[in-house]
Amino acid sequence: MSPDAVRWRYRGTAHCFGDDLEHDAHMIPFEFVIRRVTEPAELLPHLFEAVRPGLAARMKAGDVLVAGQRFGKGKAHIQAYIALKAIGVAIVCESLPYNTYRALVGLGLPFMSGCEGVTGRVADGEEIEVDFGTGEFINHSRGTRHAYPPLPPQARDIIELGGTEGVLRDWWARARAAEHGGRG
Amino acid sequence: MSGMTAVEKVFARACSRARVAPGDIVHPQPSRVFVHDGHVEGFRRQLDALGIDRISAPERVVFATDHEVVYLTPRAAERGTRIRATARDWKIGHFHDVGQGGHGHLFPMETGLVSPGMLVFASDMHCSNFGAIGAVPVRSGPETVSVLAMGSVWTAVPASVRVELRGHPARGTGGRDVGFLLARELARGPNRIDVDYRYLEIAGPALDAFGLHERVALCNSPTEIGVAGVYLQPSAALLAWCRERARQPFAPVASDEDARYEQTFVLDIEGLGPQVALPGSPADAVDLAEVAGQPIQHAYIGSCGSGLYEDLAVAARLLRGRRVADGTRLFVVPGTVEGARRLAADGLVDVFLAAGAVVLPPGCGPCAGGNLGPMHSGEVSISTAATNHAGRMGAKDARCFLASPATVAASAIAGRIADARELAGVGP
Repeated sequence: MSPDAVRWRYRGTAHCFGDDLEHDAHMIPFEFVIRRVTEPAELLPHLFEAVRPGLAARMKAGDVLVAGQRFGKGKAHIQAYIALKAIGVAIVCESLPYNTYRALVGLGLPFMSGCEGVTGRVADGEEIEVDFGTGEFINHSRGTRHAYPPLPPQARDIIELGGTEGVLRDWWARARAAEHGGRG
Repeated sequence: MSGMTAVEKVFARACSRARVAPGDIVHPQPSRVFVHDGHVEGFRRQLDALGIDRISAPERVVFATDHEVVYLTPRAAERGTRIRATARDWKIGHFHDVGQGGHGHLFPMETGLVSPGMLVFASDMHCSNFGAIGAVPVRSGPETVSVLAMGSVWTAVPASVRVELRGHPARGTGGRDVGFLLARELARGPNRIDVDYRYLEIAGPALDAFGLHERVALCNSPTEIGVAGVYLQPSAALLAWCRERARQPFAPVASDEDARYEQTFVLDIEGLGPQVALPGSPADAVDLAEVAGQPIQHAYIGSCGSGLYEDLAVAARLLRGRRVADGTRLFVVPGTVEGARRLAADGLVDVFLAAGAVVLPPGCGPCAGGNLGPMHSGEVSISTAATNHAGRMGAKDARCFLASPATVAASAIAGRIADARELAGVGP
């Protein structure tokens, strides 16, 4: 596996939130949105500082953010997701708006939505394992497991390529190859 | 097989398909692609990093300069130089630099860059304004970079919800007030529905009396509650207006009689009076009477929702021969250069200046994150901005009420939230 390859299986600590976790009000100060900051290093210290100070520093690669309904509601901004991806945290939620769905696919951040009742299957700090390729959800702290629907193949293909950037890189390489008679 | 909604027809045409259904993942070919000033630099950096040195179909791309029209920081001036260099390097077909065009959600309708029946991609959600003339805008956000490079991007065909407006609002009450009420009822009302990424097709006899500015105003607040867009069937008069200025041939569409809507939402607006959205969300609307008398220090008329000539003319009618209250500052922001010129030619700029208002250059004004004309901690504002969450126009603990141009003008005169209909001798 190359170091850049997308991992689909996560094992780590669950960080649980309820319904209606908003991007601007809850996940990252609006100031970073309006300044269009996209540098993870600048965003990380402020991730969740409004609602759970210190959480960002405790999050580690392999952890999973678990949320209820309408995760990322409000304006479709992406700064918090850039920071989560930089840490290596994936997302499981009960539902999310279309624009948040697009933002996560576009960033190449593994996630699952439509996970009904997931907030009742795990508590903050428990150890969980999630396979975003198959939808398998395991709570190691409780010894329980559940099957959720994974993302559709079209979305997984984009995430596999690394999101929008990966798709563009792939498209450009093929466009250049075609221009230079790559098929010959 | 059932018929199609107007939105589905426009999607199908842009995909060269006979029909599409909600949920289909498609790659539509847009007639126009809009990139607003704040997004250009990031897209350039992204494509540069990938070695992509050109974009697809630059002749259909529009760069709009509206969020930062007056550079207030050295960083903004630097951004301006990069935008100009990018417009040149990418051979952008319609580059509207500082002082050209104005608000990218408004001037394209006036200049005929967007016409009824067109599918357009845009980097900013308030492209939903174009639904006011029967176009079908799609917010592509950060993925507009894909549209620039590859010509399109994966898009789900949205389901349509039909909104039926029953009755007529009271005198002096218009598109903005109905929009606040509609946003509230869709998002919070007893019959609230899930509107996430649904296209609202709004119809009803009240629309017959709505000119373009009222139609634009009606599209504005519902955009803030997560809809994919708002579609209004253009009237014959509006189609004629669009035809006069179109830069390209266009073919309007209309929903079939037997089109399938996900659901129908009925909103009674008979006798509706002026609405005010409470600080926090454009969907937190109440009757003006509930907040009348609230002292204000800041007022602003303009934004993508209420920045057309006619919006500002309503305000001018109230401000003529009157003064903005001491201790209150009023910013007037024409949305477009064309509108600003008409205001000047008709003597309305003079009315604003005589009243003690500050006239800002065409564009977003204070709504673009409070860079221009911001508020201090603890201040209270009433404006026609698109949204009003904490910190939108300056200090985080400043409070932003939203209302129609008439209500904002009357409030600026009174120094407190006031009903324009109660100003002596004035019929808005």
